[in-house]
Amino acid sequence: MLKIENLHATVADREVLKGLTLDIKPGEVHAIMGPNGSGKSTLSYVLAGRDGYDITEGSINFMGQDIGEMEPEERAALGLFLAFQYPVEIPGVTTTTFLKTALNAVRKARGEKELDPASFLKLQKQKLTELGMDADMLKRGVNVGFSGGEKKRNEVLQLAMLQPKLAILDETDSGLDIDALKVVADGVNALRAPDRSFLIITHYQRLLDYIKPDVVHVLAKGKIQKTGGPELALELEQKGYADFYDEAA
Amino acid sequence: MAQAAVHSFKTETLQREEAMPWLAPAAVLGGDNAPAWIAALRETGAASFAATGLPTPAWEGWQYTNLRPLTPDVFTFDAAGDVAAQDLPAPLLKDSHRIVLVNGRLRPDLGTPLPDGVKLTPLMEISEPEEELATVGSLAQSPLLALNCAYMRDGFVLDIAPHRDITRPIEILFMTAGNSPAVYPRVLYRFGENSGATLLERHAGAGAALTNLYAGLVLKAAARGRYYRFIDENGDAVHVSRTVVRSHKSSDFQGFSSVSGVAAGRQEFGLELLDSGISSSIGGVYMLKGRQSHDFTILADHFEKDGTSVQHFKGVIDDQARAVFQGKIHVRRPAQKTDGYQSHHALLLSDQAEASAKPELEIYADDVKCSHGATAGMLDTDGLFYLQSRGIPVAEAKALLVHSFLSETLEKITRDDVRALYAARIAAWLNAPVEEAAA
Ligand SMILES: Nc1ncnc2c1ncn2[C@@H]1O[C@H](COP(=O)(O)OP(=O)(O)O)[C@@H](O)[C@H]1O
Ligand SMILES: [Mg+2]
Repeated sequence: MLKIENLHATVADREVLKGLTLDIKPGEVHAIMGPNGSGKSTLSYVLAGRDGYDITEGSINFMGQDIGEMEPEERAALGLFLAFQYPVEIPGVTTTTFLKTALNAVRKARGEKELDPASFLKLQKQKLTELGMDADMLKRGVNVGFSGGEKKRNEVLQLAMLQPKLAILDETDSGLDIDALKVVADGVNALRAPDRSFLIITHYQRLLDYIKPDVVHVLAKGKIQKTGGPELALELEQKGYADFYDEAA
Repeated sequence: MAQAAVHSFKTETLQREEAMPWLAPAAVLGGDNAPAWIAALRETGAASFAATGLPTPAWEGWQYTNLRPLTPDVFTFDAAGDVAAQDLPAPLLKDSHRIVLVNGRLRPDLGTPLPDGVKLTPLMEISEPEEELATVGSLAQSPLLALNCAYMRDGFVLDIAPHRDITRPIEILFMTAGNSPAVYPRVLYRFGENSGATLLERHAGAGAALTNLYAGLVLKAAARGRYYRFIDENGDAVHVSRTVVRSHKSSDFQGFSSVSGVAAGRQEFGLELLDSGISSSIGGVYMLKGRQSHDFTILADHFEKDGTSVQHFKGVIDDQARAVFQGKIHVRRPAQKTDGYQSHHALLLSDQAEASAKPELEIYADDVKCSHGATAGMLDTDGLFYLQSRGIPVAEAKALLVHSFLSETLEKITRDDVRALYAARIAAWLNAPVEEAAA
């Protein structure tokens, strides 16, 4: 599904990823944990194809294709989805217009028929209800005036609508209270499928109580420092990242 | 003699301004049995223009817009040109009335009957013009207005009878046709006391044309005037206009204009809030690319208390296009409790696009609320990446962002169908389906 090999990447002329290797198989849930500033968001942006995040060495293979040079929308069409750590506000574009435009763009790129308005609205309503979200937000500008929790739920709503092959969740738990966290986790768990993988990026172990990972990695200093099972997350929770700072120092 | 004076001004001017398109050598003034006031105004206008020429950047209000180099073609005054009824664009709105002018001349044969309570008087049939028609500003300070006087050929006064609410919109279609015509229409829209009407003023034509329009609007006490302008001409057209809105007690004016197709343009709006309790607002959108340029120059002038004026403009500028916004709020001493609002926001889509803004407040009353804001910026890259990351192709993502940026100006337009007309123009410019419009 996703195979990253020896990935080096720079942001603003600074090397942030320094030889990262990762292999995610279909249906697997991987977690990446790491201290602040270790390059977690950078990894998510490099995967999604953001301008200004340059690959200097290594490769990213997704769904059997080297995606390193692809535009963000091409990666999305291939089935890559990034739930942003800081979702962007887009005044003037309503959430429903945004969802419809995105869904139909992805369907078109995948050679599927665009959804007619009625089917779209039905799908949207169903997902909204599942996520316990207020229909009122659909009429508002994307993320405009949303609380931190609403923004994160909106990310999961988009995820549920677009049905990607790989979902990267960048600190989707930050800023959520425990109830909102459960809703988000339920939403994600409902999407787990044999042909859909997840990469859960988080600073805290908390989210992993609700979304059980198959594999846990520790990212520090731009590299995967350690890989293990769910027990690694618990270990980090107790001991913190001090070991990795030491190693790094 | 009057004719001789006019003649000499033309030659002089043409010598001084080589390749100047604003005055055409073939112009023939007089000889059309025009009423005395028109003949006199032609003379005054011609003499005034002969003395000033086109404004230079040293002129007050002309710092950013230089009309001289913008119009390589020479336009012809009173050029022949016709449009067949079947070639007229479809009405902007269903169930509307229509007044048609071709190359600045009224064409009753192409219009529709007007409803009860609406009266159209051709300019040439007016022997005693009202001040709003004849005395419309300082010609010395406005050479374009002077030209509009010098070349006054046709136009009309449209009267909305007092206490009448005209429910169907009236479309006023200014068509240009033929070989690069220069047209100088003069019109006056008069809303009687406590009357209401919606006017759709549309400028259309397929080829090069110069329009230099003077439009006056008078809103008598408690009148409700809606005035929506659509400049739908193509890339070889030049549009300059001066629009003066004289509002009387407790009247309510809402105006809007969109422009995308012209090579160069300048629209001046003067909102005169002459009495108390008046609301007067003007808004607009412009969409420019290539080497187009456009200038909105606005003055809201508060004479008396409890008035509200709004200026709300946005535009998008691509390639090497240039946009100018000059907006002023003038609050005279008696105009206490004035509410004045002004904003202009430009979105630059290229490094070479240019936006110049000059907001001005001149306030002599002490109890007023006035605000203005002006910005010019590039598309938000965070927003763009967010949309792309959801699978939306970059061109479509940009269009979505631009559309949402511009359509915010439409929110205050009270009629849904009119708002949709402007949204369609934005969408057409962006080559995007209309549906993308965000509420
Ligand atoms: N746009 C940027 N410009 C400059 N430095 C950046 C930029 N984005 C990230 N960085 C730097 O890269 C490092 C990794 O940041 P980030 O990926 O956001 O870490 P994390 O998500 O793990 O907290 C940090 O030192 C950060 O300052
Ligand atoms: Mg981060």
